[in-house]
Amino acid sequence: MKEKKELMKEGKRLDGRGMGDLRHIAITANPIKNAAGSAYIEWGGNKILAAVYGPREALPKHISDPQRAIIKCRYMMAPFSSLEEHGRVGMNRRAVEISKVTKETFESVVMLEMFPGSEISIMIEVLQGDGGTRAAGITCAAVAMALSGIPMTDLPYAVSAGKIGSDVVLDLNKIEDNYSDADMPIAVNPRNREVTLLQMDGEMTREEIRKAMDMVIEAGKTISRIQREAILAPYQKASEAYG
Amino acid sequence: MKRLVIPGEILAAKPLRLDDTIVENGKTCSTAIGLFDEERGTMIPLEGQWYPRFGEMVVGIVEEAKLNVYIVNLNAPYKGLIISKYAEGDIRSGDVIEASVKELDKTGTAVLTRPRVLHGGKILRIKPSKVPRVMGKGNTMVRQIQAGTKTSITLGMNGLIWLKGGDIDLAIAAINRVQNEAHVPGLTERIAKMLGVKPESINGAPEEGRHHVHQGEAQHVEEEGIQEPME
Repeated sequence: MKEKKELMKEGKRLDGRGMGDLRHIAITANPIKNAAGSAYIEWGGNKILAAVYGPREALPKHISDPQRAIIKCRYMMAPFSSLEEHGRVGMNRRAVEISKVTKETFESVVMLEMFPGSEISIMIEVLQGDGGTRAAGITCAAVAMALSGIPMTDLPYAVSAGKIGSDVVLDLNKIEDNYSDADMPIAVNPRNREVTLLQMDGEMTREEIRKAMDMVIEAGKTISRIQREAILAPYQKASEAYG
Repeated sequence: MKRLVIPGEILAAKPLRLDDTIVENGKTCSTAIGLFDEERGTMIPLEGQWYPRFGEMVVGIVEEAKLNVYIVNLNAPYKGLIISKYAEGDIRSGDVIEASVKELDKTGTAVLTRPRVLHGGKILRIKPSKVPRVMGKGNTMVRQIQAGTKTSITLGMNGLIWLKGGDIDLAIAAINRVQNEAHVPGLTERIAKMLGVKPESINGAPEEGRHHVHQGEAQHVEEEGIQEPME
């Protein structure tokens, strides 16, 4: 059992945010030239690179699907990304799990049937972690996927919600994540409000989850706007240069 | 009025029959980054993958010469296939070829015909979605670049461009600029200025050559209905 830490001060969170406030988010388009599409996100203290390769021939051949493309996803934390240990070579149990849920999020939006027999690789590399990396990774990978030109029916975003004491809070950082009463990352396809990822650590009541969902949908408007601006920034820059 | 759209954005509250869109619950949604023209009802994708279509010219690199077929790398998730008996002359592995798509099989392999080996030169890889813009309306853009640099240019719809002779570096710079500024109006004039030539007009006589299939933006209107033969 973890020791309890004081996570609230005078009705505000430790970093001065209110209950429903997001951390600062900035996304840069196409930092990696060799990828079909890539993005870099700074979400509070998180620094994450995402790159999308493909569609290309699925290898080894026996994993390919003649009806549709397959998605391969690799989420990794760099050895230097956090205070805890992430130093061993290869995927640990946590990385395998997050890769799987990220893959499933994208399977619901990418039009896989357009590329039978091929594979699409999503690589998410966490350079610095500060809580909510899987949510930030999905948000970043969605931008990379859009930039790669692979057809998608929607642009998903993800954010975590949780509970500190009796308060429902949005976008937990590392310290809140470790010592809060509950942490629930959620990925949403904004057009239909389809939930494509929902995991939870801790306990929340039905009302609290409902409140958390409302907060996520509300914050999603901001995240979607930031994603949109990041995707269109290279085009708008070229447009502005010539009036 | 043209506007930039992103995947998942609702374009219209009624079903429209367009490339790079889906219709869901009677609404048209974009599936790619593009320029949507509300008045004309057209969608120009700015990013996209290439799907082989019948009759398209492609540029590829021969990967493997087997007993009776050649496997061609088309810079795409699909492989190209040339059946030896339809190939004229000597084709070897590693050769750069220009060919047209004859048919598609269900797995997406493109059977190519009329291959022509391109000797020497350089290959440039661009985004397949930008090829119609590099061509320009009625080939104006590519003719202009050829005139300005004296480079011989062969455009493959799959995004590979073969260049030979003349000022290749300038031609590559011009093509890359077209790629980056494809969505900004007045591009033909800017490229003409960059190369120091007179802007080509659309009314000029069409160039004799093998790549005259598509006419810039009009392509998307024409191709409605014959889309995705592989599905």
